[in-house]
Amino acid sequence: MASQNTAVSPKPAKTKKKDLNKTGYGYLFVAPFVIVFIVFCIYPVVRTLYLSFTEYPGYGNPIFNGIDNYIRVINDKFFWRDLWNTIKIWGVNIIVQLGLAFLLTIVFSDIKYKLRGLSIFRALFYLPNLIAATSVAFLFQTLLDWKYGTVNQLLGTDINWLGDIHVTPYVVSIIGAWMWFGNSFIMLMAGVQGISKEYYEAAAIDGAGRWKVFTKITLPLLKPILLYVSITSFIGGLQLFDVPFLMCGGTNGNPSGTTQTMVMYLYRFGFENNQVGYAAAIAYTIFIMILIVSIIQLKVLGSSNDGTGKKKGGRHK
Amino acid sequence: MKGKNTMRKLLAAIMAGTMIFSMAACGSTGEDEAAGGDAAAESSTDDAQVSGKADATQKLVLWTMAADMQQFADKYCESHPDVAIEVVVTAPADYPTKVQNALRSGAKDPDIVCAEPQSIQTFIDAGFFEDLDQEPYNAQQYADNFVDYVWAAGQDANGVQRCISYQITPSAIFYRRDIAEAVYGTSDPEAIAEKFATYDAVLQTGKDMKEAGYRVFASTGELGFFAGNEPWIVDGKLNVSQSRLDQMDVAIQLYTEDLTCYVDTWSTTWYQAMNGPIPMVGDDVDMWDQEAVDAAAEGADTTEIFAFGLPSWGVLTLRDNAPDNSGKWGVCQGPTYTFSGGTFLGINPNSEDKELAWDFITFCTTNEETLDWWIETSEGDVVSWIPSIEKHKDDENEYYGGQKLYELFLGLAEHIDYSNVTPMDTECNDLWNAAIGSIQRGEMTKEDAINNFYDQIESTYPDITVER
Repeated sequence: MASQNTAVSPKPAKTKKKDLNKTGYGYLFVAPFVIVFIVFCIYPVVRTLYLSFTEYPGYGNPIFNGIDNYIRVINDKFFWRDLWNTIKIWGVNIIVQLGLAFLLTIVFSDIKYKLRGLSIFRALFYLPNLIAATSVAFLFQTLLDWKYGTVNQLLGTDINWLGDIHVTPYVVSIIGAWMWFGNSFIMLMAGVQGISKEYYEAAAIDGAGRWKVFTKITLPLLKPILLYVSITSFIGGLQLFDVPFLMCGGTNGNPSGTTQTMVMYLYRFGFENNQVGYAAAIAYTIFIMILIVSIIQLKVLGSSNDGTGKKKGGRHK
Repeated sequence: MKGKNTMRKLLAAIMAGTMIFSMAACGSTGEDEAAGGDAAAESSTDDAQVSGKADATQKLVLWTMAADMQQFADKYCESHPDVAIEVVVTAPADYPTKVQNALRSGAKDPDIVCAEPQSIQTFIDAGFFEDLDQEPYNAQQYADNFVDYVWAAGQDANGVQRCISYQITPSAIFYRRDIAEAVYGTSDPEAIAEKFATYDAVLQTGKDMKEAGYRVFASTGELGFFAGNEPWIVDGKLNVSQSRLDQMDVAIQLYTEDLTCYVDTWSTTWYQAMNGPIPMVGDDVDMWDQEAVDAAAEGADTTEIFAFGLPSWGVLTLRDNAPDNSGKWGVCQGPTYTFSGGTFLGINPNSEDKELAWDFITFCTTNEETLDWWIETSEGDVVSWIPSIEKHKDDENEYYGGQKLYELFLGLAEHIDYSNVTPMDTECNDLWNAAIGSIQRGEMTKEDAINNFYDQIESTYPDITVER
């Protein structure tokens, strides 16, 4: 085979290569992207790293202060409190979000029900994701107002949805879940549609029940997608900002700082207190955390894909 | 087969429910955006408007957070047909960043930079304002004609004038005259001022109002406009004065003793409270007893709000939001002399037309004809040019029962001590109010909340000494 390929290898291709002089044009073609990338991605990243080692109020010349900002981050109990707040809000959010998305995926992928209108439902479920966070925040602030909100009036309750430390963080979680469950649903449905129908037909012939089909076929084969959704969601969750910022009294994270996320804390120093150097150090600390999670994601997804293949082989046996 | 059909129906119902859930929120968005115009605007981008002719030979660019400047620009262009002014109004949250990005890069636009008191010092330190004491401006020639605190607010640490405001914004109590008559038998501003003269008096007024079926404030947040007469930072040390602690105690008592309506400041209901009754939870209800609250909410009664604590621009806020109560309002002094807000104008050192920019600034701040026009147009905004306030001090404002508001506000502004203001005030006030909120809601004891406040200050400003 190898010798055949060598023999067939066409001569004119070599001539073409010489004529085109691709190298020079190549640089020209990629230049617009590279310039934009350097100016808007590389430069801010490098500049932020530099600022994280300085004391800089946002004007004048930054004063180099070594790793002082990083030591301050490590000793800042409010930064760690906000990390916990962020994880807590994300945790409840992902459970609800994936739970709902999974439920809908099961229903829509069940070949026995053959539900129609998947594309319409898919679009409708995705709609909350398209609403601007400002509108979402205003909508829920109005609905959830303590004494005058629609929700309390409808339920006949007196829950301080946006002012109770035991309730508000979870309200933010649920709103996040509502905004993102459509997205997860689309991902999971794509995953389900990628599973060969032969498995389901074979299971039906073997007399497998709905639960068995779900636990033995759908769930294992969806594992990589599930992992992907939850880890990317975690990375996004670590950067949570807009909804709690708009709904819970700006960067204060009312009530009692329970909805203050890490990025809100960063924003507070960078844009409200003119401590840009410290904000840059917080940004890089968050970046390092996200980097670690991303590496774990790559490892886990890699092993998960391998594992699925092996298991598949095992089942075939 | 029957079971399968039932399941399909059930699933269809669940789908429809989920769909309605999604659609309901999406459907609401349009209305909410319309109703919540202000909220949307606060996080939106810029609104640019050009005053004057398109073929004008000279052009100024002005950046501001206050749409008022568009009216000033229109007025200026009427008498200066060769000038066009582009006024760019930016949402307050985005404004400081926008200005800093532009001016740090040495941009020639804007020619005129506006600032609020909380960002003035940052802008001055960053070198964003021209020295107005030098030629050809010689701003000090006007010093005696400006209200002291406003003039001081526009100076750098060396006393050099950097920016000037056309407004004064002292805080005051805006109260309902009809309710004052019903409860105290008088609506005289001096008599009512006694009811708000100290924090203890405010608490007593709250009790009087509750007894008479009213509420003193819609929210305790308004007390924040009268927080403390002392600076937060003295000689590098955090200063939690007795008056701050007193203000905290009263805010907590007003809340826990059901003396307010638990409305969030600036919320829709808060504005509604200016114009008429709002629902309230009954007098005897213990707010910490859920069953009692639930029972009370079912047969919720309504109440009217006696007073609002606001800076002088509240004159316009009330007028615009409470048309039904025209003539029923009065204004009096609160427990402390403080101010909030105000638009200051300075010149970008990189501007290519500084003289024209200065001409516009003096037109807005020192030109009596302009200020007369503004007083008439705004129907209540209080200018900082003393000769103009003196000229109008006998003006009676019909919306406020014919009260002479300019005289009152000038008197309040003269007591404001600008040396109490520090660059850390906004943050300290926010954290202090958050501490008050934590105690009000029963999340922390007073001691824990104050300790947490100390921790937050130490974390935010490592250079400030906190003595506990």
